[in-house]
Amino acid sequence: METLDYFLPQVWFGILALFLFLYVMLDGFDLGVGILSLTSSTEQRRSILMTSLSNVWDANETWLVLMGGGLFGAFPLAYGTILSALYIPVFLMIFGLIFRAVAFEFREQADRKLLWNIAFGAGSFLAALGQGFALGAVLGGIQVDDTGHFVGGVFDWLSPTSVVAALTLIQGYVLIGSTYLVWKTEGDLQQTHYRTAKIAAVTTLIGAIALTAVTPIFYEAARSRLFERPLVFIFAIIPALGVVLIGLLLRSLGKEQDRLPFVWSILLFLLTFVGLALVVFPYIIPTEITIYQASADPSALVFMLIFIGALIPVMLFYNLYQYIVFRGKVTAEEGYE
Amino acid sequence: MEFLHDTVVLSRMQFALTAIFHMLWPVLTTGLGIYLVLVEGLWLTTRNKQYYYHARFWAKLYLLNFGIGVASGLPMEFQFGTNWAPFSEAVGNFFGSIIGFEASWAFMLEAAFLGIMIFGWERVNPAIHYVATILVAFGANLSTFWILTANSWMQTPAGGTFENGIFIVRDYFQAILNPFMAVSVLHMFLATLETSLFVIGGISAWYIINKRHPDFFTKAFKIALATAVVVAPLQIYVGHLSGEQVYRHQPTKMAAMEALWETAPAGQPADWSLVSVPNPKLERNDFEVTIPNALGLILELKPNLSEPVQGLKEYAPEDRPGAVGLVYYAFRLMIAIGFFLAALMGVTLLQWLRGKLSEEAIASQRWLLLGWIFSAPLGYVAVECGWIVRCVGRQPWVVYGEIRTVDAVSNLPSETVLTSLSLFATVYSVLFITALFFGRRIIIRGPRFDLPIPGIEEKPAVETQPGEFKPDERPVEAQQ
Repeated sequence: METLDYFLPQVWFGILALFLFLYVMLDGFDLGVGILSLTSSTEQRRSILMTSLSNVWDANETWLVLMGGGLFGAFPLAYGTILSALYIPVFLMIFGLIFRAVAFEFREQADRKLLWNIAFGAGSFLAALGQGFALGAVLGGIQVDDTGHFVGGVFDWLSPTSVVAALTLIQGYVLIGSTYLVWKTEGDLQQTHYRTAKIAAVTTLIGAIALTAVTPIFYEAARSRLFERPLVFIFAIIPALGVVLIGLLLRSLGKEQDRLPFVWSILLFLLTFVGLALVVFPYIIPTEITIYQASADPSALVFMLIFIGALIPVMLFYNLYQYIVFRGKVTAEEGYE
Repeated sequence: MEFLHDTVVLSRMQFALTAIFHMLWPVLTTGLGIYLVLVEGLWLTTRNKQYYYHARFWAKLYLLNFGIGVASGLPMEFQFGTNWAPFSEAVGNFFGSIIGFEASWAFMLEAAFLGIMIFGWERVNPAIHYVATILVAFGANLSTFWILTANSWMQTPAGGTFENGIFIVRDYFQAILNPFMAVSVLHMFLATLETSLFVIGGISAWYIINKRHPDFFTKAFKIALATAVVVAPLQIYVGHLSGEQVYRHQPTKMAAMEALWETAPAGQPADWSLVSVPNPKLERNDFEVTIPNALGLILELKPNLSEPVQGLKEYAPEDRPGAVGLVYYAFRLMIAIGFFLAALMGVTLLQWLRGKLSEEAIASQRWLLLGWIFSAPLGYVAVECGWIVRCVGRQPWVVYGEIRTVDAVSNLPSETVLTSLSLFATVYSVLFITALFFGRRIIIRGPRFDLPIPGIEEKPAVETQPGEFKPDERPVEAQQ
């Protein structure tokens, strides 16, 4: 029983981390392409950008819904506390996601596209901004009482950490969005996004360094846990690997490779994500409440593990399948009928 | 304007607004999904390309609804955490799991296969495309199942107990199969289907009246009608079962639905109120028109009540729904629409049987067709009314008999909630008008009959293009 009490929350921490990573990776390029659409020089280019997402955006966004549902069921206390603490960033994100979601269909139908171009680009930006603030606020710590309930103010989320996190996340999304476009487009458009990818790779790196510098949790984790053996390796290895990956990314962009830049970007996201997860673990509401304190009843965790856990491979499979169905470059003629 | 400073009221208004708006879109996608499965199946079995063009045309409306449905669904999920944190913490063990199930079982399925259904006609073969369409419809209806399961549990919590304010599940299957679940799921399933059928029928009627592709749309009209023959009466029966359940399990909601202040005792008939002006302050109805002895017939299909119908006065004011008039009239409007749609179906069926709906004669059925156009939005109104009865009638409880709404709300400054509520009101008004505008445009543009038909090998160009004249240049002798 004792081991089960530790094991189940850890499993669910892992599953939610997986959902969140899939969301950040998949909707990350989705939102990145949206932000990049603000810079599109022609309607035709913008059409290609949106067509490259038209069949995947809603499934990508569903990972967020899934992560939300999983967090609600597995760590109900954290769900309530974190979301009510992050009221403003969460609604920034939601309004952003609403604007960009409706833009897909409305733009297609509209004669004058300007309004929906803005809705799509600015909505994507707003969503990324909200997510960045939320990430920064969670890393910066949420003020709770000893039962884990939020006791701070509505603007607590606004801090140097959250501002840097928001800027960095936007850069990261632009990076992965650019490399997605490199993969999915050709010609001049592809050339443009080789350039945006290179710029974003550098700005993301700067952001990551700045974020490490301004986030207290990194110091605390370093102070209290740096000398635990595995962590020493992790904290030494992750930054080193990050630098290597950025180098590989820039090299493949320089060589104008098609798919590798996207792969390197994904690995870069994965590495950052693993690093953050290791720093945060075992907290779910840093730096007060651990996953063991916030977790649902063990029976609920088992129940969800059976009904959601078993479905994860199936969901991954059919999501992959639809990427295979729509493989290949997006051209101007394709897309909406 | 005291309520503008009351976080509970504002959070409730925000949830109500976002729920009412959200509900408008999945109603059509779940019901229309089934229709798309039907027409694509007809195309595959008969190879009549008209059905293929039906699938393509109605899918456009599907897509328009789907985008807004996805977007407006997000705030529904996240609001449980942002505005109802104590509720989330108390019921996460069960309710949270179910929300997770909806996302993983239903929503992901619908979202992932929608791409193939809409954009994949030329990328996969027709059989796989059909599987995608079925999975999209199945996913949408599975969403109905999980959401109604979760909501039913809030009406009739079962399968565990509240310990220190937290619901601990003893038996998950008992919690899922709570008393309200089966009938509620069926009622909502039929509601989305019936609404969609009358939308399809109404739009088709508009085309027929305007003499645009009348043959094509007579087909859609008849498919919708034939399905409504089963669905509309069945929905009235399931609605009756649903009311009967409220009578057994939720006495305060029952009393509000009937604006009943004094208890109607068992063993004798009671009047059914048709029109009334409830006055919660004086705990009576200022004005009332009743149908004598009808309440027992409506509830139990027999004149005498077997159990008393509790009056609102049996409960302290803080234990009964506040908005009695709203619940009362929403309930009556829903019933009126249910019967009206069934009657319209009945009359149209009669005309069909008399041969008046043939492709030549249907245009002369002007009043009938106008009736269908008028009925297109009615299903939506009934659905919203049903949810109002269900959730406003459940007050003052968020989980009936267990958690009060006032105890379930997050500790937020009222200005913050007022700001988000105002933003929702503004954005959703714009979206609603825009969606109507573009929906209208899709309808005015009408179906396209030049789309390539997938799965049919393009015959060599010589057969489709006018043949070029090639004079026989062989020597005359060889031509013989």
